[in-house]
Amino acid sequence: MDTILKKERLGEWVAQIGSRARVFAPAYADGIWNFSPVAAGVSIELDHGNTVRPAKGFVFPQREVLYRFRQESGKAPELTETLPDTTPTVVFGVRPCDGRAMVRNDKVFTCGFKDPYYSARRDQVVFVGLACNMPPSQNCFCLSMGGSPHSEDGLDVLMTELDGRYHVKAITPKGKAIVESGAALFDKMQVPDGNAVAKVHADADKCPQRSLAAMEKIAAGLKEHFESPKWDELARACIGCGACTYLCPSCHCFDINDEITGNTPLTGERVRTWDNCQFPDFTMHSSGHNPRHDTGARLRQRVSHKLLYFVENHNMQQCTGCGRCISHCPVGIDIVRVATEVTGQ
Amino acid sequence: MNANVYLPALARIAGIEEETRGARAIKTFRVEFPEGGNFDHACGQCAMLSLFGKGEVMISIASAPAVKDYKQFSIMKSGRVTTALHDLKVGDIIGIRGPYGNQFPLEQWKGRDLIFVGGGVGLAPIWPVIQTAVANAEDYGKITVFYGARSSRDIMYKADFEDLARKAIVQLSVDAAEDGWQGYTGFVPANLMDKAPSPNNAIAITCGPPIMIKFVIQNLQKLGFTDEQIYTTIENKMKCGVGKCGRCNVGKDYVCVKGPVYSWAELKTLPQEY
Repeated sequence: MDTILKKERLGEWVAQIGSRARVFAPAYADGIWNFSPVAAGVSIELDHGNTVRPAKGFVFPQREVLYRFRQESGKAPELTETLPDTTPTVVFGVRPCDGRAMVRNDKVFTCGFKDPYYSARRDQVVFVGLACNMPPSQNCFCLSMGGSPHSEDGLDVLMTELDGRYHVKAITPKGKAIVESGAALFDKMQVPDGNAVAKVHADADKCPQRSLAAMEKIAAGLKEHFESPKWDELARACIGCGACTYLCPSCHCFDINDEITGNTPLTGERVRTWDNCQFPDFTMHSSGHNPRHDTGARLRQRVSHKLLYFVENHNMQQCTGCGRCISHCPVGIDIVRVATEVTGQ
Repeated sequence: MNANVYLPALARIAGIEEETRGARAIKTFRVEFPEGGNFDHACGQCAMLSLFGKGEVMISIASAPAVKDYKQFSIMKSGRVTTALHDLKVGDIIGIRGPYGNQFPLEQWKGRDLIFVGGGVGLAPIWPVIQTAVANAEDYGKITVFYGARSSRDIMYKADFEDLARKAIVQLSVDAAEDGWQGYTGFVPANLMDKAPSPNNAIAITCGPPIMIKFVIQNLQKLGFTDEQIYTTIENKMKCGVGKCGRCNVGKDYVCVKGPVYSWAELKTLPQEY
């Protein structure tokens, strides 16, 4: 479903949606863009770079209570499930790389054992994408990862900025519902609009980006060079801060811990938090044995998980080329450079 | 199983057996499910045990699948949760979710000799396989159980071994010489070479400390066992048990789902990150 929205009507559409759903959009604060709640009557801006934090937090929050426990001394514990509430959430300004990351996250959380927390959020959230008309960062490489600046994968709606208006395409039934709910605000798409959209998309595809060799070549190269001394060399600067994986739209590893809130009776929460394969403790056994005992092994794990293991399991890379892990690494570790140097591709 | 994979069933500790003492003591816990929530399992599978306020730990199920009324877990005191578990008393309530992981292919092994090689607490994951095999001895050839511990005081399932010796060939070892010790003195891989079981129509199953497994596999290969005839069960740190949290990831596999049981033919294709 294709339609046109004049820019001056965007605020009205957002306000209409906001009357029955939580709305988020990128907002500028403390020097960075991040998804923030949109308060009633506040206009949203969509002409900016990508957010620092990815959209994954809407379906897989940084910290999430799985259930609460309460136990009187000498008695059986009582467990209270805390599934997420089902208030609809609509997120504007999601870039196609974050949309494509959702397809990867779906593979992890809904294949095999279904994750009820992820699924409850994913079923109600609506991702309104925004096609890139220029690379949002100097480290973008979505084209090399099989994506594009206007990929629809994982998104419910894709908006493309034209001169004074947006082309709005509803992709999924959820997306169609929010476009139809504001039908009166939209104009019918004309043939010249279609041509303009095609041109914006084609021009975006031609914008220079960083590049990485084809999926199969990189995967084969990583398998062949598993023991390469380059892993240690390239990881030497790593300080193990984990910014790369926290800011990754498709990194899904998590920890589960108990947080005690009271002792008599024992009360607390079992909490899931984002975790990080770059931390030594991530794999350390209680015996002290650590299967990935140095930064080289841990860098190899991050890169190989994305560009080899995920390919073996799902025939797609677990990286969508957003470039956040490169842009925000404090010591300049660069997945494109690492994969290129290790594999010699 | 609960619709929410993370929500455990509540189970009551019905019995505690002190297997070995010391800093890394081993206790065997028998748990029952008075409120329901029990589940069937296969040989080699694990379950996530919960102690509220402490956390969870993945432990192999040490009782045989044929035992339906309760489950047993033999746990070495090692980290935060296992240490807290060791402080529990009969009647205390823990959480359990599972079963997780794959299983030993006992059906495929029918008609073959079975050689088990265990060390330390590594006996626990293969114990249900041993129990199931001897209970169905007519389906299998000769059953041999090698087991070694640091000293005779560190041998777990002592009473059960007396019973097992009537049904299978038992080869016990201790690492260092002891007065009155009747079994082999030396490490498990050396005992294996000393007895040199034949690889003809046989399957070898090993579990123990990583260094023991490494030398057991080398020695089995020296004895002529092929990679397809050797099975082991591995462990890695786990948080979810359902193939999502990433902790146990080795190559393309999440050990909690694809493992913990592997033939050496399968395992040698994965990175040695376990």
